[in-house]
Amino acid sequence: MDYDLGTDAVELRKRLRDLISTHIPEGFLGACTNDPKDLATTESFCKMLASDGLLALAWPKEHGGGGGSVWQQTVLREEMWAHHEPRGAQYMGINWVGPALMRYGTAEQKARHMSAIAAGEVIWCQGFSEPEAGTDLASLRTRAVPDGDGWRITGQKVWTSYAQMASWCVLAACTDPNAPKANRLSLFLVPMDRTGITVRPIRSMLGPHHLNEVFLDGVEVFPDEVLGELGDGWRVMREALAFERVGIARYARCESLLDRMQSELGDNWDELPESIRTRWVRALIDLRVARLLAYRAVSLQDDPSAGAAASAARIATTTCDQQVAELLFDVLGPTALDSGSSAALHGAVEDHWRYAQAATVASGTIEVQRMLVARETLGAHG
Amino acid sequence: MKTALPEDIAEFSAVATKRLVRFGGPQAALQAETDDRLRQDARTALSDLGAFDLDVRSSSDDLLAAAVLCQAVGATALPYPLVEELMAIDGARLALMNPEAPRIDHGDLAGDWIAADLDGTRYRVQPSSRTAARLGPFLVPATLSPPDGTVPAVDVDLHLTLGSWRIVGAVQQCLEITRQHVVTRMQFGKPLAEFQAVRFTVADAAVAARGLHELAKYTISRIESVPAQVRSADALILRLKAGETARQVLRTAHQLLGALGFCDESDVSVLDRHTQSLIRLPVSTEMLAMRLLPGIRDGGFETLFSGPVSA
Repeated sequence: MDYDLGTDAVELRKRLRDLISTHIPEGFLGACTNDPKDLATTESFCKMLASDGLLALAWPKEHGGGGGSVWQQTVLREEMWAHHEPRGAQYMGINWVGPALMRYGTAEQKARHMSAIAAGEVIWCQGFSEPEAGTDLASLRTRAVPDGDGWRITGQKVWTSYAQMASWCVLAACTDPNAPKANRLSLFLVPMDRTGITVRPIRSMLGPHHLNEVFLDGVEVFPDEVLGELGDGWRVMREALAFERVGIARYARCESLLDRMQSELGDNWDELPESIRTRWVRALIDLRVARLLAYRAVSLQDDPSAGAAASAARIATTTCDQQVAELLFDVLGPTALDSGSSAALHGAVEDHWRYAQAATVASGTIEVQRMLVARETLGAHG
Repeated sequence: MKTALPEDIAEFSAVATKRLVRFGGPQAALQAETDDRLRQDARTALSDLGAFDLDVRSSSDDLLAAAVLCQAVGATALPYPLVEELMAIDGARLALMNPEAPRIDHGDLAGDWIAADLDGTRYRVQPSSRTAARLGPFLVPATLSPPDGTVPAVDVDLHLTLGSWRIVGAVQQCLEITRQHVVTRMQFGKPLAEFQAVRFTVADAAVAARGLHELAKYTISRIESVPAQVRSADALILRLKAGETARQVLRTAHQLLGALGFCDESDVSVLDRHTQSLIRLPVSTEMLAMRLLPGIRDGGFETLFSGPVSA
């Protein structure tokens, strides 16, 4: 039993911190801001990572990836999220669109998309959720009606992150409303500039680009754009999302924020109320536990118990995210609501609090994670 | 990275648990409250398992074996001060205590005792007699000598860590009892396990128990390799988390078992009463948190960002 990530992973962490400190401006809070320079920062950073074989680190080398170990991938996830995800929206293409293409894509689809994703040249979005189907994705209503050799898709997607900046979408639609629920859906790889697609941003507390509506009005799609088998979309979607099963390394940003806040406070840290400082202790303990649960889930890999282990890790890390958000706001007291570059940690605390509100909702709600843990613990009752 | 226990340790854990269950589990501990022979028999059971041949101070394999043995002791509420005997100095069992209110678990057992506080200050002790308390039934008030030297800091850390493994065992067993109860107990025509509120409560307890186990494995795996300052913080972190997780899981167990869980015929009641001495002593979790405060400033409390790049 040892918890050593390995020399290559530790070296990668050093290298990534060097790259970030050199190329990411102080106060960077991710691509989802109103300042176009932030998006440009992520685009140039992704290309730099790609040229060093680090953008698609997890991918096999034959697909243009870096062939990195699972622990290198873990470190990459931690360092990117800790530093406000300087890959911007591209992590989605890297983390699951690419792996899904590797498993289900045709030779033509792989040739068209894989190298572009690995090179950091393209942003993907995910057209899954709908106004009437969030967590229950098998109930999607968007229809793909046969038309000539292909289909025309009509419907509405919602909560679609990065839809304004994306050039491609993995779009889920119902191709056979009369089939059993598990066989109704198909996935399509659709360019976002195709006629009939309209994106409308949704103003939200999370900030720009996080949430959008996507309206589909008779959008034409073709047989060579189906990902996997027709009617097999539900299975492909579930397996594709499982590539991300450990989820975002939220604990890493929390640890980073607490470290930065402590540095900013200096000796004033000792003047914080005792109740705040002991909450700080408990937050750091919970973050250590969340990190270890994530490591456990990663180490289980293909073990049948890996799914529940990943759900446990997600529950721990998403609740930590909110715990740290509240702690840091209480540390700041009357200046907690200040935002922008003049606020604490260049606005990172206020930004974290807002984004943390979605932690237990995004990418599988905490209720779904609890159901999965309960299923393993108690069996399939209920 | 290998997050699983080595195979031989996992096998020893299974053997130890089986032997201690055969000894009688929590119901034997209940009987020991009024029959001292059970505690000597408990020692025999531990001896059969080779417990007293383990050298926890100088062999990492022995330390790991001791950890899973403590886990089995915790799961069965074995009525014997295993950690104190494993940490004995010159044949005297070592008790960790708060000098403001010295208490020794099983302090009435024959044999020599010494005590240390969390700063490592050593004391000679004079145990008195048991008080027939419901919570911590084997606790014995003690009188301390003036400070009498020190014990190595690593002894305090090992003591806290092995005690935490006992709590891990108790937590896991309470969760298992709860699981068995909710899948079989019928209410409103169906098992409790079919009610979503019950499922979510069990899921939260299961996540807490899993997290504690991972933390316990992590802590013991690096206890011999990290700097002393980090090792001490690690031990406090684990003990704090163990105490708070035990409170959460025991609360869950009591709530879901209903009145049954308060009865001594239920193992939950015995596990709860007998584990309280580890959850509350030598100091409260709040005091443990206070002791961790300096570590946040001086780097003893290691995080991903507390120092040069670390794993």
